[in-house]
Amino acid sequence: MSDSPAIKTEGLTKHYGKVEALVDLDLEIPAGEIFGFLGPNGAGKTTTIRTMLDEIRPTTGKAAILGMDTHEKSVEIRKYIGYVPGDLAMYPNLTGKDTLTYFANLRGGVDWSHVDALAARLDADLGKKVGDLSSGNRQKVGLIQAFMNKPKVLIMDEPSSGLDPLVQREFQSMMREVAAEGCTIFLSSHTLSEVQRVADRVGIIRHGHLVAVEAVAALRSKAMRRVQLELDTHADATVFEAVPGASDVTVSNSHVVMSFEGDMGALIRAASDRYSIVDISTQEADLEEIFLTYYHDEEAGA
Amino acid sequence: MLANVFAKTLRDRWPGWAIASGVLGSFILLGMAAYEGIDISFLDAFPKAYKSLLGLGEGVDAGALAISAIYGSYGALTVAAMALAMGASSIAGEERKGTIGLLLANPKSRTHILISKIAALVLLCTFAAIALGSLSTGIAAALDVGIGNLDVMALSVHMLASSLFYGLLATAISAATGNRGAATGVTVGVMVVGFLGAGLLPLLEGGEDWVKVFPWYYFNGSEPLNNGIDWGHVGILLGCAVLFAGVAVVGLRRRDLKGQSVGVTMIDRLRANPLTRKLADKLAGSARVSSIWAKTASEHQTSLMAASAYMIYVQLLLGWFWRALPEEMFDLIGQLPEGMNTLFALFGGGDITTPAGWFQIETFGMMAPIMIMIVTISIGSNALAGEESRRTMGLLHANPISRSRIIIGKSTTMVLYASAVGLVSFLGTWLGALAGGMDLPLANIAAICVLLTVLGIAGGALALAIGAGTGRKGAAVWGAVGFMVATHVMNSLGEIAGNPAWQKLSPFYYYLGGDPLNNGLDWSHAAILAAIAVVLFGAAIVLFQRRDLRQGGD
Repeated sequence: MSDSPAIKTEGLTKHYGKVEALVDLDLEIPAGEIFGFLGPNGAGKTTTIRTMLDEIRPTTGKAAILGMDTHEKSVEIRKYIGYVPGDLAMYPNLTGKDTLTYFANLRGGVDWSHVDALAARLDADLGKKVGDLSSGNRQKVGLIQAFMNKPKVLIMDEPSSGLDPLVQREFQSMMREVAAEGCTIFLSSHTLSEVQRVADRVGIIRHGHLVAVEAVAALRSKAMRRVQLELDTHADATVFEAVPGASDVTVSNSHVVMSFEGDMGALIRAASDRYSIVDISTQEADLEEIFLTYYHDEEAGA
Repeated sequence: MLANVFAKTLRDRWPGWAIASGVLGSFILLGMAAYEGIDISFLDAFPKAYKSLLGLGEGVDAGALAISAIYGSYGALTVAAMALAMGASSIAGEERKGTIGLLLANPKSRTHILISKIAALVLLCTFAAIALGSLSTGIAAALDVGIGNLDVMALSVHMLASSLFYGLLATAISAATGNRGAATGVTVGVMVVGFLGAGLLPLLEGGEDWVKVFPWYYFNGSEPLNNGIDWGHVGILLGCAVLFAGVAVVGLRRRDLKGQSVGVTMIDRLRANPLTRKLADKLAGSARVSSIWAKTASEHQTSLMAASAYMIYVQLLLGWFWRALPEEMFDLIGQLPEGMNTLFALFGGGDITTPAGWFQIETFGMMAPIMIMIVTISIGSNALAGEESRRTMGLLHANPISRSRIIIGKSTTMVLYASAVGLVSFLGTWLGALAGGMDLPLANIAAICVLLTVLGIAGGALALAIGAGTGRKGAAVWGAVGFMVATHVMNSLGEIAGNPAWQKLSPFYYYLGGDPLNNGLDWSHAAILAAIAVVLFGAAIVLFQRRDLRQGGD
């Protein structure tokens, strides 16, 4: 069991009637990794997660968690899992404390001092009825619920929705801490900045297809940069578009902006051959731009 | 007129009304077909008081019997209940769901929105009155059943006024307080007490005057089916309805709107008070979330209490009435020809001059199964499909428990609660029999209560199985209710038709068919009902095991 990846899917496919919600998903996530699962709404993120929890069954293919088949061994698996469903709903008539007690009773073996510590960290009010809480405060109860049994695998679908920035940061450090202790985290999100901050690797899913899986560091080292040039005179966009690695070139008078992934020397040579460079600035592109680039390529390819 | 709120309200509500009207129409069809086959001339010799309880006038025939028994009592009750449910959720329902804010973000006043909702209510009540009226006359014409001088139109007008009364009473409470529970509870109370009071009080000496305090009296106290429209009575109902509408408008305008919320219960108040917190926490907090069955039990306390209270109250009342009713009435009924029992078939059947028949016709035939199934079907439909509709199944299912354990936990509560209703029915009937000085063997009371319990469990198990297979709460509720109503009618018609073989397809045959109040428990009947329940529980486990869980939906 210890050798097998924490999460593994093979050819995981789910059709709803004629709709292909998920097609041939192959993933392998080693223990202790934080895996960011990125994609626009309706891409198949929730379908993937619900299959892992055995809420829904794959049309073809299979998934395994901690080396156990998600359908055959679903009850055993769920002993080791913490789960935050997307669009979290709980029992409105129960207080946060009641809710956690209920799930702790169903699970067994929850350490209440740990629950209290989690509640304190997230500044959660467990005395109020869940139905009377704002969505962010309700989300906190859901997060505590997922963390309280010290899971080996945490599966979370848009977990930080509704949380304010301070609590989001606290939540991110909670994720990093448990991952450091060996917990594997499967984090579905469209909040790219969050994934960028915590994830080791990201998978990008679109229309049910896994578009790419990359280490966050590798994505960054693709060295995509945002480049801005100020020239001495009106610029011609075609000059820059001709440079290998340049994309999204926009020109207004003497000001040029582009995404650039390639040999910076070639770009500067191309520019200084025709113009005199007044100013140049470059910055590392964030995941959002990289994501949009993938997305853009897919769109163009489709 | 705010066409979009009006249109949306209609769109949300019309299917329920159309289904209810269709079902009532089919009952009238069945009723006419059934009653036409029997000689009911003996009814002319019936005491006037008893005919008034049945809503009958002079010159009774099959058409009149069917129309008054089905349209005049259950039909009118159903339409009034639909109207009050719609009125109760009109404003308070939107507040509870948190949608009122969005609605009022549009440049429309509260009054406009309220009036649009009232307009939809009025339209649907009118639709139901027209539908039932034309179905009754149409079916009579099609079957060639004479309905003579019956003024069906007048009954429709009275029913329209009556349903508007209850619908707008509920609207007024809902709009003025924002409390849907209070609106439903108060209006149901007014309706049920009125229905029972208007039916039973005239049987007592000096009761005729008191009956005028009940709104139900103004619906059919003047016997509109025989005497035409009583504009005075209709005017009283409509006048009250207009008054309620005014209260609703003024009340809604003056108060703060509530946000999305959950109700505050007595236990919540006790938990908030430092003196009682410890005890209340023990009672409500940790105990109710200790397991799946305990939590399910805490969720369905209200229906259990309501069903239990009803059974105690009505059985005691019936015992008391038994003693209070004039002797001559029973003598008269006793002299009536054989076959009169068929009249009561739709109410469960039995000889009303005996204690056993009295209880069977008044409660065990119809109301007791309804009461126990309110409890079991609501547990069964909420167990799986309800958690899926409310999107809470994901979290519950994420725990290391199998799907069958979820079903077993919730079914345990269903069985316990059904047994509790059965036990309370036993106690209530026993006390009622004592109060009425009736000679009714305890073993026979126990027999019918055991059968009632198992029947209730079977009904709940059906709802559970449909929910397990579809994940749709609406399908679970209406599938189970529809099946039970249809087989109840089937059993009643079987009684009238002289127990043909097909009557044994109805579960109600195994409940009442052995006449348990007279003959004691037929173990084979209890076993058949139990077997039905077991098969349905098994089906629920298998079906739930195989399918994808739903998130949200109806």
